[in-house]
Amino acid sequence: MDESILMFFSSEACNLFFLCFLRRHKQNLRGRHKARKAKIEFPPSQVAWLLDSLLFSSSSPSILHSFIHRLPPPPYIKNLTAAYQTVKTEESAGEARIRGLSIIKPVKMVIRTVDLRSDTVTLPTKTMRAAMAGAEVDDDVLGFDPTASCLEAEMAKITGKEAALFVPSGTMGNLISVLVHCDVRGSEAILGDKCHIHLYENGGIATIGGVHPRPVKNNEDGTMDIGLVEAAIRDPQGEQFYPTTRLICLENTHANSGGKCLSVEYTDRVGELAKKYGLKLHIDGARIFNAETALGVPVGRLVRAADSASVCLSKGLGAPVGSVIVGSARFIAKARVLRKTLGGGMRQIGILCAAGLIALQENVGKLEQDHRKAKALAEGIAQIKGLKIDVASVETNIMYFDIEEGSNMTALKLRKKLEEHGILIMFENSSRVRLVMHHQISEGDVQYTISCLKNAMAGLPEENGI
Amino acid sequence: MVIRTVDLRSDTVTLPTKAMRAAMASAEVDDDVLGFDPTATLLEAEMAKITGKEAALFVPSGTMANLISVLVHCNVRGSEVILGDNCHIHIYENGGIATIGGVHPRPVRNNEDGTMDIGLIEAAIRDPGGEIVYPTTRLICLENTHANSGGKCLSVEYTDRVGELAKKHGLKLHIDGARIFNAATALRVPVDRLVRAADTVSVCLSKGLGAPVGSVIVGSASFIAKARILRKTLGGGMRQIGILCAAGLIALQENAGKLKHDHKNAKALAEGINQIKGLKVDVTSVETNFIYFDIEEGSNMTALKLSKKLEEYGILIMFENSSRSSSKITCLFVCFQIPPTHETVILLGCLSGFDLLHTIRSRRGTCSTQYHA
Repeated sequence: MDESILMFFSSEACNLFFLCFLRRHKQNLRGRHKARKAKIEFPPSQVAWLLDSLLFSSSSPSILHSFIHRLPPPPYIKNLTAAYQTVKTEESAGEARIRGLSIIKPVKMVIRTVDLRSDTVTLPTKTMRAAMAGAEVDDDVLGFDPTASCLEAEMAKITGKEAALFVPSGTMGNLISVLVHCDVRGSEAILGDKCHIHLYENGGIATIGGVHPRPVKNNEDGTMDIGLVEAAIRDPQGEQFYPTTRLICLENTHANSGGKCLSVEYTDRVGELAKKYGLKLHIDGARIFNAETALGVPVGRLVRAADSASVCLSKGLGAPVGSVIVGSARFIAKARVLRKTLGGGMRQIGILCAAGLIALQENVGKLEQDHRKAKALAEGIAQIKGLKIDVASVETNIMYFDIEEGSNMTALKLRKKLEEHGILIMFENSSRVRLVMHHQISEGDVQYTISCLKNAMAGLPEENGI
Repeated sequence: MVIRTVDLRSDTVTLPTKAMRAAMASAEVDDDVLGFDPTATLLEAEMAKITGKEAALFVPSGTMANLISVLVHCNVRGSEVILGDNCHIHIYENGGIATIGGVHPRPVRNNEDGTMDIGLIEAAIRDPGGEIVYPTTRLICLENTHANSGGKCLSVEYTDRVGELAKKHGLKLHIDGARIFNAATALRVPVDRLVRAADTVSVCLSKGLGAPVGSVIVGSASFIAKARILRKTLGGGMRQIGILCAAGLIALQENAGKLKHDHKNAKALAEGINQIKGLKVDVTSVETNFIYFDIEEGSNMTALKLSKKLEEYGILIMFENSSRSSSKITCLFVCFQIPPTHETVILLGCLSGFDLLHTIRSRRGTCSTQYHA
């Protein structure tokens, strides 16, 4: 299959090309109801590529917008754009965006995209889009958005807590929780040294919230030794020099350990420890439903020992946006105010919450398949020479594999090679790669990934992925 | 039972239109944190173009837009920001710039027209010579339109003068432009000219423009790059936001032009209220879509009672205070979702217990009016 690459050196040229296309297209459609009969003079590959690259560039927004929303595309154009997906490089899109320039970046065409970077990339499904379009909404700040209230009631019920609060992101879910538990200046929170709050939230609990973190070593299974946690609790006698420990945070599943589940027993023990010292317990449960699925323990039981939990809807559950904090009614009341303060007080959020409700209804059951696919992918990778993976440690939907020493391959090179085949991955360092499974990766995609990895490691010449 | 709801509490109550819902349902989306959501990119490019700035960033709310702007301009500890003592950032944002951002506010008296005296602003700028005891002034904030003054517009000339003052002292200028499109409409000045003197602006899509969620910060490319990170830190890094941005694009296209009708409606309502005995409103001060009116002393009515009575008729209002018999009530016009004015005025006339002064004229069709049983 030939690669049709068109480079435009200015947005004006692109606009001209597009306008010509549009005009021709409109002429052909006028008075004709059967789309099949309409003639398009540009080969389908170029049409699809053009549509795609325009969609992903920052040029001519108004023309593009009017194309998307005013002119109904004929069915075969829709099918084309669905079938042909382009690989976007982060750098090119980012560059164009930061510079605010209208530059079309030439992209090669590939048949499919297999996005294994994270389960956050999940796109809203048809039922979600329908639910969002028809959602009952109201101003959630001046009053209460009815769909948000539904979602929050549902989440509270599922997790066995008194109340819940929808927030824009998991980061805000954790930030609010830590800051509300530690609302007195001079507080300290005990958390794992490899947990998400400590590593990937811009240090916000400190820089924004003034809370001091006390990291304790995370074991390979995502736990912290109970003894070490206890030892880290500050003796109130030393308050002259010590901050005051108010909170312990756990993360379930623990992402950096490879999506490991914390058992009910462990969570309960940490909860008892917290109670013994008058501390609160917060669970970063971004992927708590994955833990529920893998352990066969309902979420409500899993988080019983915790005072609060933050649960992501936008990851494996597939909603486009949002997380939910759950906790006592008093806690949630304070959380609501802090959410406003941080700027998370959005208005007609029913639109997003409607998708969240669908996610809870439809996609929790799909997590088991994600785990199976992850296992299958891990087993396939284990057979590839030059790659090393501990298949037994793949408990949920996250896996890490290493590139063995001695091979010429680096993680960066591997990522570039896979990108040409439409497979997107993330790497930790020059020899460690992370893959995350989600419900929009098919079993065919899994096999495709395995074969592309095999080819990449064997150093075969590149194919176009057909 | 209520026949219809006329929600005059705020322009934030605007519900998404059919076109918006359609756009949201079919929006092209992607993970805006791991990469860039294409619809968000479109919206941000459009906003940057409209405001004449280099780049833009979609955020969940106006509060976050202001918070991020202040914190990025004042990212060095020990900073101070000059702002109006009656401005939104100072009164209605939970003091976040201080409690969350560690920035010290220096409020300067707001005049009735929403401005601050240039002389008072200059006097409030800290002398670097006194740094041993002073914080360092880094930023001046304006609000256009100024909500608490009744939606008053700051003129281009005034904004430019404050911009020159800021430049003279090496400070940045941020405009809380939640309702900047209302100002542009009322003043008949394009938005980009209105905000030219500012380094950054925050613009709300979810108010009069009618989008369900969101605001946009605009500024230089390097500012927006920092703002993006702080947005993530505060927890505003949402994923497939194209859904919300698609509605925002529709809002810009379709509803920016409707604001002048809101202003006409507001004027008509103000004139009608003014004719009602017992209610007092300064009609000339109604510049955009805000009305404040007072209940005259001597009448038995309080704002609380009035709001309850109106609620029975399906009219929702907000009041400033009700403890005194003379009370201020806010009415805000919602873009294209409010029925013809005279009905509301008639009802107000009835409920305030005084003579009916308007006759009922035949109603023209309205779009998207919400009916509640």
